[in-house]
Amino acid sequence: MSDTITKDASAPAGDNTPKTEPAKNQKPERVASLWSDAVRDLRRNPLFIIGGVLVLALIVISIVPGWFTDGSPFANGACDLSHSLERPSAEHWFGYDVQGCDNYTRTIWGARNSIIVGILTTTLVTVVGSLLGLLAGWKGGVIDSILSRFTEIFFSIPTLLGGMLIMSMLGKGNAYTVSLVMAVLGWPQIYRIMRASVLANKNNDYVMAARALGAGAGRITFRHILPNAIAPVIVVAAISLGVYIGAESALSYLGIGVQSPEISWGLMISDAQVRFLAAPHVLLFPAAVLSVTVLAFIMLGDAVRDALDPKLR
Amino acid sequence: MRGATTTKWLVAATAIALAATACSTSSKSSDDKAASGGGSIAVQLGEPQHGLVGQNTAESEGNQVLYALFTGLVDYDRKTNAPRLQVAESIETTDSKVWTIKLKDGYTFHNGEKVTSKSFVDAWNWGANQDNAAEGMPFFDKIEGSDELAPGKDKKPTVKELKGLKVVDDKTFTVTLKAPFSQFKTMLGYSAFYPLPTAFFTDPKAFGDNPIGNGPFQMDGAWEHNKQIKIKRYDNYGGTKAKLQNVTFKIYDNLDTAYNDLRADNIQATNKLPISAMSSVASEFGDRYINKPESGVGYIGFPIAYNPAYAKPEIRKAISMAIDREQITKTIFAGTRVPASDFISPLINGYRKGACGDACKYDPAKAKDLFTQAGGLPNNTLELGYNADGGHKEWIEAVGNQLKKNLGVEVTFKPFEKFGKILDALQGKQYQGAFRMAWSMDYPSIENYLRPIFSKVAIESGSNYGGYVNDKFEDLLNQADQAKTEDEGIKLYQQADDVLIQDMPYIPVYTYQASAAYSKKIKNFDTDAQSRYNLAEVELAG
Amino acid sequence: MGRYVIRRLIQAIPVLIGATLLIYALVHYLPGDPVQALAGEKRADPIVAEMIRQRYHLNDPFIVQYWNYISGVFQGDLGESLQGRAVSDLIGDAFPYTVNLALVAFVIEAVVGVAAGVMAALRKGKFLDQLILISTLLVISIPVFVTGFILQLVLGVQLKNDYGIDFFSVSFNEDDGLRAYLLPAFVLASLSLAYVARLTRTSLMETMRADYVRTAVAKGLKRRRVIGRHALRNALIPIVTFLGADLGGLMGGAVITEKIFNIHGIGGLLAQAVYQKQGTIIVGVVTLLVMIYLVTTLLVDMLYAVLDPRIRYE
Repeated sequence: MSDTITKDASAPAGDNTPKTEPAKNQKPERVASLWSDAVRDLRRNPLFIIGGVLVLALIVISIVPGWFTDGSPFANGACDLSHSLERPSAEHWFGYDVQGCDNYTRTIWGARNSIIVGILTTTLVTVVGSLLGLLAGWKGGVIDSILSRFTEIFFSIPTLLGGMLIMSMLGKGNAYTVSLVMAVLGWPQIYRIMRASVLANKNNDYVMAARALGAGAGRITFRHILPNAIAPVIVVAAISLGVYIGAESALSYLGIGVQSPEISWGLMISDAQVRFLAAPHVLLFPAAVLSVTVLAFIMLGDAVRDALDPKLR
Repeated sequence: MRGATTTKWLVAATAIALAATACSTSSKSSDDKAASGGGSIAVQLGEPQHGLVGQNTAESEGNQVLYALFTGLVDYDRKTNAPRLQVAESIETTDSKVWTIKLKDGYTFHNGEKVTSKSFVDAWNWGANQDNAAEGMPFFDKIEGSDELAPGKDKKPTVKELKGLKVVDDKTFTVTLKAPFSQFKTMLGYSAFYPLPTAFFTDPKAFGDNPIGNGPFQMDGAWEHNKQIKIKRYDNYGGTKAKLQNVTFKIYDNLDTAYNDLRADNIQATNKLPISAMSSVASEFGDRYINKPESGVGYIGFPIAYNPAYAKPEIRKAISMAIDREQITKTIFAGTRVPASDFISPLINGYRKGACGDACKYDPAKAKDLFTQAGGLPNNTLELGYNADGGHKEWIEAVGNQLKKNLGVEVTFKPFEKFGKILDALQGKQYQGAFRMAWSMDYPSIENYLRPIFSKVAIESGSNYGGYVNDKFEDLLNQADQAKTEDEGIKLYQQADDVLIQDMPYIPVYTYQASAAYSKKIKNFDTDAQSRYNLAEVELAG
Repeated sequence: MGRYVIRRLIQAIPVLIGATLLIYALVHYLPGDPVQALAGEKRADPIVAEMIRQRYHLNDPFIVQYWNYISGVFQGDLGESLQGRAVSDLIGDAFPYTVNLALVAFVIEAVVGVAAGVMAALRKGKFLDQLILISTLLVISIPVFVTGFILQLVLGVQLKNDYGIDFFSVSFNEDDGLRAYLLPAFVLASLSLAYVARLTRTSLMETMRADYVRTAVAKGLKRRRVIGRHALRNALIPIVTFLGADLGGLMGGAVITEKIFNIHGIGGLLAQAVYQKQGTIIVGVVTLLVMIYLVTTLLVDMLYAVLDPRIRYE
């Protein structure tokens, strides 16, 4: 059982096709577990394929942005104020931003920080929130009370305050520090949802049955409760991923997030908003790319959810 | 405006939808002119920081309201910025040290109390007393006896009154300064020098919400915090009476909203415009858009006191010459700021256009040479710090890009939440980079652009954040203070300014323009050097 | 159930004390000088600054300051801001607007969100489903500042100037009553709306596949009845959870919406207090928010038992 438990982390994240490989090696006669079933399911699901290809493309762009642009946005003289806010043209598809930097080049090079922030924060929030939510929902009693009251305090801490505080401990900000800040302040939401899902599912007949059959807590939790309870968590996580990418810029104003001259989509969008009416293209292109990213993760999320739903079998 | 055309269809669609649901218009009667003789308008304001007491107000929003409620000894001509006598009949001195002030008849507070010498002297004594922790306390520093009233930490004031203030009679008092100061008269229009009625001293705190002034307008109900401050014409005003009957200061904390309210004629004037309006306001408001010099100067400063990397004037000069001020003010600020060519604002008597010379002229080749000869910067990196709450990111990044291109240095940026955080970091010697900084005058004197920012005393108690010290500069300031005439003083201050231009402790980048806009509903609208509305002169149009 | 509620209310006491202590400590140890933060770009005069620090006991050790604060609280005094206004006044002025705004937004997100989600679930892949997906993406990627500003420009300015319809005022106008809250509440609710719609869609689709729903349909019960009575009720649990947790967020986190529409509510008060490092205001507001969260989570937990009778609190 333990091997399937370790595998579960890769399935919901679903961002990485190679991780599905182990499923191939399994012998057909072995009784497939829920999780390997899910993996097989996924590979046939067009939603998963499209979403996966998109995410893969984004990851490639993040790693080697230079393949997709002529020059680097950090090159000397890459920005020229005389081109400020120029509209899109045949040579410059996305136009120029207020500093006279090529908007397309910046969008491509901004992918890395944004993808790191999105995936890292969402993963941290989802893992921490889900595990604690599972624990509180399943155990109930004192553990639930302590964890729940704790989250109420966390919910109430203003993001600004928490951000400043963590920042004052960390020093200079980057994509990783901002992810940490958002994760620290963001996990209670997933916690609440996971806890509710567990509460709703733990009284189901099949859980009772498994219990009666003498299944251990770990087995029940991960084999029966988690797959049934995870759907709302996936929905929230997929949307939040986009929200985190956008929200990162708000924290960069405090010196917490990605700092210029580094680039991120969140920064590009937030910098462009005051001049939106005069030059909407500066905002709309990175916003469109952010939308596509979120769409990819929503598709992946839907596919993973379908694959995990025992009722569909 | 582009936005207007692209959103037109949306408006039409919404209009139809609303008509369909029969949500009819509630047309508010906006024709107040007939109703109340003189008319009423609303204008934009930010929430003032403190209670409305002149001695305790050192920020623009409170100052704005006080300007309508109070009249000082002098105010300033909107064109020349020279002090004009108001409550004062005369202000005279023979040695720039002892000043005799005579008051006019006819000024009363809004509760009927006469404005006398005591109204001023008591107010100043209150402001100078450290126990009252008034923001305007530093303004009394120059008056004899101020040290006894403000002895500092862990000490109690030994007296209650400034030794240098003497009431001669109801209409006359004298001010003795610690040392001669030729520009003293120009300080007297500042809100710290406004008079106070006796009613103030019984409950200063309540007074702050419901001030009783001696100005053209009086309060019309108490200050409704975060919402509005209503004022109405004071008919027994000693000076030229206001035309409008009522004015409402509507409180905003977002300029975009205020601007949209102005467009919809929900308010009639704003003295601050959002960045989003810069490109379109001129075409939208035409001659109802005001863009004229204001008192502010924007600089880039360096922690020269403790970071040896910026110790050489050549390095600072090279950085200055690598900045294309023309392009930045044109592109980023759409002409709402103007390239600086002096440390002094163009408004001020003593300003010399182009005084800065080559050091403020864009010359990338020369800049690069100078920079290399001076040895460049360690690690070839330059950090630019700014406060993120004031819309500085764009121009700081533009400067960064230019420095990178022209000097070949790597530039990084450091946002701080508030300007106070930059100060904290400089004070703690934690921040090593260059930083943005701006100065707007407290009183329209050339001295106010030199001593508070670059003198030795200003390191501890003023705004000399870079820690610049030059003995020659100090000497010239002192000589200028003691000059017998204002003109002689100005010449000496200009020599001190020349020392700064040699040393470039800060780089002057641009000077601010006051940008205001007003509605068709009003006329004779203008703003002064501190961007204050001239409410007493505004009239309803037509 | 009654004993459960009482137990929860008793738990609130240590939580509140813990929260005030925690927040007070966080603010205290945050670097920065609140007195300078007030002074803006000019250096606060050292003597004046010192006098203000003494007046508000900012030089005292942390534990003394906290003790003074908390003993004041028990006497009904929430302290004063550094500008000399009572914190209870500041909160009292701001809170009614915030409650109204949050409640209108809450109703919008709950009603519109669930309705949209149900329709999307019933017609998966159809027009409405796609529309919800696209709106979700838009709401995520376009900042509230931009959507709010454009709505304000179109509905507040152009509708009035070009068509003479003065229905939505640009900035918040108290005299307009509920109408004044519609636009800001819609802007505030937009992101949560996306969450609720997608949660409902997913949750409902899942429960509709459950055996009991299939059975009900097979028995010949009307589809609408099955959805309303059985499927939706069960599907509501994660949605109720989300909504409950969101209500506090709508109250404390409406900074940008409040700013755009010039509503002087709790969000802006809190943000400004944090920037200025004004401990008394921050602790006052956060304590209020903790109480709101305590109450909403309790209500949500009780709702679970209503929605799913199998959930019991012993």
